[in-house]
Amino acid sequence: MISTASALPLETHPARLAAANWVRTAICILLLAAVVACLTLAFGRTGERIAVQLCVNVTAVVALGLFCGNTGIVSFGHGAFMALGAYLSGILTMPAGLQRTALPNLPDFLAAHELSVWLALPIVAIAGLCFAAVTGSAIARLAGASATIATLGLLIITHGIAVGAREITRGSQTFFGVPRVTDLTIALGAALVFIVIARLYRESRHGLFARAARDDPDAASALGISPRRTRFVSWCLSGALATVAGALYGHMLGAFSPASFYLSLVFAHVAMMIVGGMASVGGAVAGVMVVTLLQDTVRQFEGGAELLGFVFPEFFGLTTIALGLAILLVIWLRPQGLVGSFELGPGADAPFLRRIGRGTKPANDPEKVAETMLQARSLSKSFAGVRAVDDVSFDVPTGRITGLIGPNGAGKSTLVNLLTHQYDADAGKALINGTELTKVRREAVAGKGVSRSFQNLRLFRGLTGYENVLVGSLAAGRSRQLAAPVAIRELGDLDLGEVAGKTADALPYGARKRLEIARSLSQDPSILLLDEPAAGMNPAETDDLADRLVRTSEARGLGILLIDHDLKFVNRLSNWIVVMNRGEVIAQGLPEDIRTNPSVIEAYIGRGRTAAEAQFVPNKTTRVLTVGVDQ
Amino acid sequence: MKLKFAFLAAASAAAITGTAVADEYVIGVMSAQSGYLAPYDGPAYAGFQFCIDEKNAAGGLNGNLKVKTIVKDTRSDIAEGVKVVQEMIDEGAQFIVSSADADPTIAAAQITMADNIPTMTFAGTAPVLTQVGPHVFGSYPADNQQGAVLASYARDQGLERVWLVKSPDSAYTLGGPEYFGSAFESLGGEVIGESLYSLNQPDFSAIVTNIKAADPAPDVIVTWAWEPDFPAFIKALRGAGVETQVMGGDVLDTPTVRGLGEVVDGVVHTSGGFPDEGSAYADFIARFEKATGTTPDNNYYVNGCDIANMIEQAVAAAGSTDPAAVSAAMAEIKDGEGVMSNFTFAGTDRMPLRDVVVAGITADGKKEFILRSTADPETLPKP
Repeated sequence: MISTASALPLETHPARLAAANWVRTAICILLLAAVVACLTLAFGRTGERIAVQLCVNVTAVVALGLFCGNTGIVSFGHGAFMALGAYLSGILTMPAGLQRTALPNLPDFLAAHELSVWLALPIVAIAGLCFAAVTGSAIARLAGASATIATLGLLIITHGIAVGAREITRGSQTFFGVPRVTDLTIALGAALVFIVIARLYRESRHGLFARAARDDPDAASALGISPRRTRFVSWCLSGALATVAGALYGHMLGAFSPASFYLSLVFAHVAMMIVGGMASVGGAVAGVMVVTLLQDTVRQFEGGAELLGFVFPEFFGLTTIALGLAILLVIWLRPQGLVGSFELGPGADAPFLRRIGRGTKPANDPEKVAETMLQARSLSKSFAGVRAVDDVSFDVPTGRITGLIGPNGAGKSTLVNLLTHQYDADAGKALINGTELTKVRREAVAGKGVSRSFQNLRLFRGLTGYENVLVGSLAAGRSRQLAAPVAIRELGDLDLGEVAGKTADALPYGARKRLEIARSLSQDPSILLLDEPAAGMNPAETDDLADRLVRTSEARGLGILLIDHDLKFVNRLSNWIVVMNRGEVIAQGLPEDIRTNPSVIEAYIGRGRTAAEAQFVPNKTTRVLTVGVDQ
Repeated sequence: MKLKFAFLAAASAAAITGTAVADEYVIGVMSAQSGYLAPYDGPAYAGFQFCIDEKNAAGGLNGNLKVKTIVKDTRSDIAEGVKVVQEMIDEGAQFIVSSADADPTIAAAQITMADNIPTMTFAGTAPVLTQVGPHVFGSYPADNQQGAVLASYARDQGLERVWLVKSPDSAYTLGGPEYFGSAFESLGGEVIGESLYSLNQPDFSAIVTNIKAADPAPDVIVTWAWEPDFPAFIKALRGAGVETQVMGGDVLDTPTVRGLGEVVDGVVHTSGGFPDEGSAYADFIARFEKATGTTPDNNYYVNGCDIANMIEQAVAAAGSTDPAAVSAAMAEIKDGEGVMSNFTFAGTDRMPLRDVVVAGITADGKKEFILRSTADPETLPKP
């Protein structure tokens, strides 16, 4: 497998990925179509009804998964959208005569429309979009468990409103007279359209951004992606689709009440999504199919049956028990769901795609960057009274590698976080060409030409190597056509061609470190902040990285702020070194001056030693032995 | 093929109409065996099947029409209910007995409407459910009948000021107290306050505080709350020292409510029936116990049996198994003989007029018969 992958040229990766993505969409569609065909051909009308229910559930769960899968936030709030869709579509399509009896106090603007379902559905979708935009403006501000709780709150509030709005919904009483128009054609058609929309969204710019922000919001915002915005966009699209799914569900039932869209429906859909795998569209489709087929198979045995000579007694509740066991088994054996965390189907490295020869030419090296200066001016930051960074000032100009060294706890990473506005500074400012970075939004820092890597790897784990770099390139504001060649260039430059199709999680450590740098470089930054890029690398990898950084810096003329406590590495690369200790800059200057600076030696080794002694401390783990080693 | 068969069947059915009925009468039963409807559908189905089996042993309905039942579990899920109803129609069901709630019954009735297949709910009591069409029937005394009988009893006791405790979360918990209130007012009483609660609300202290602070104080509190809300409410109420008379709906007719001890001493509730000694109901309990080893400890068993009786009498009156004819005959039944109580569909909108029993709970956890009465159709609160 690996040898196959390595044989594939990097240039054809984007074309192969595009093909693989279509294949994956086709697999979802074919899977659903095959199951529906089997059901209807083998079991006649009974099978057809199961197929209708299955397809409607696919629309609901795919809509749910569009938000949950791309943002990583489990939503219990989609029952609210479904209720909105079902009631609105029901009111718009209901025969006027029946409506006068069932809903005598319906407000005039809603009454007696008698629309066909084809006219009602677009209205329902727009209403759903508006509702999603309103609710999303609040919910998208939250992440993780608090967002999930907020969606649950939305469900509870909407349920309360539906129960209370008796003129429109008949309150908790049954809402009936909804035309039962959801037949197999409509249900299957909708399910297929939903699958295509969800697949397109997932691989689109917004879908990639959402998944990047899901995997690592800090890294995403450092690239200029607003995690809140990705959640908002996903929520709106997902909500609009769920509203349409609710309308289809309502037209399948014909009669329902607010309770029909409450916790039990929502839990059923969430369970299907989790059984199949939350992260992918294929997972949503597979989950619905497995659960539905399991339920409908087991159901046949509830009323008592004879199978292969065994007589089963009447045993009601078997379906619920079987479903519960299935969910437990899946969560135990495959915590990521049946499909796992990746889309069902082949990746870009699949052997049958190797014939695709359409290449994407790597973009030309960027022009030398314009002269720019990143300045730290009196930056200070305290955590619970500890001054992590205290009145720090220095410059990082383009065309120079500036080393920032200091023992553990000196405040180096905090300083980087201040420069990129990950943290708010207590005092002082960070400037680039006169613009105060400390005052712009965190996501806007990248747009000012400052890109960074992180001390602890912060790759987008659910994305492939290529997609990681592509996200960086797209986030720099390029169109897809322009972003791909840049991603190819950076992957090639950092010798990552073989790992383009592998997920970031599966890469060896050194490759992951390089991938993070490639992702930063794909934004064509003026200033690159590298936080311990060599940490954890072996000497050969460290040397290799050093060579690449020097070459890149010279070729593009960019300024690098290199943070490390590996003094040999920093010494070898830097033209200028800033030394920090206990939050303060204790020295800065040319490397040869720093090496002999007594306060630097003291900070690293302790009072009363000399540089000559330091060279012979045989303790590799602390890395201090390399002080003063020749460049 | 199937269609052809259906034509043939219809043609042959038409040919023998008026003479002997077909060999077998197929009744589809949607019964929730899990979920929130299971406590009602389970006993109702057991009672129904028991009496159908008894009738089949005696030659069938009216001694000559064997019944075949198709029973399918809906798991209290409305989508599942929609599916199984269609399956049962495919399998030839000529009568549908639907789950004990308005939602699944109305959903089923919309499907059976096309073929006019009579559809009867196990124990749904919301009077609105028969609005779907002339083929939909209730079987249990409706909420408005129960409310009216209870209100008239309350007025007879000289009670004047009622406080209603209701939950908008279900038609039953909302409708019951409202029907009581409207009947109570038409009899000269006064509704002096209302409180709303949510289903499964753990804490009723705020509501109790409101009731305690009411001036003038109510002399009766009425709620259609069920378990676990009713036990939580009554404990909070009595715990706060409020000794006002409490009245409730037929959901209080359970051994667990009676087992709550002194807090429920004196609570009055409606009920569909009462097994007086020597009555047909008492006989049913004895037969059922003997046959199954289970004691029917609520009215849903016997009501299930009465559904079998209603079907039998409707088929007899129709003289055919044609769905529309059975529906029409059912709607004209007057004082039909039942085990729990007699039933009248004629003149109603197909929620049968039946006796409502008012019963009280005693300090030692026993059920005490108070009165049996039928609501007056003239003063019955409109659904």
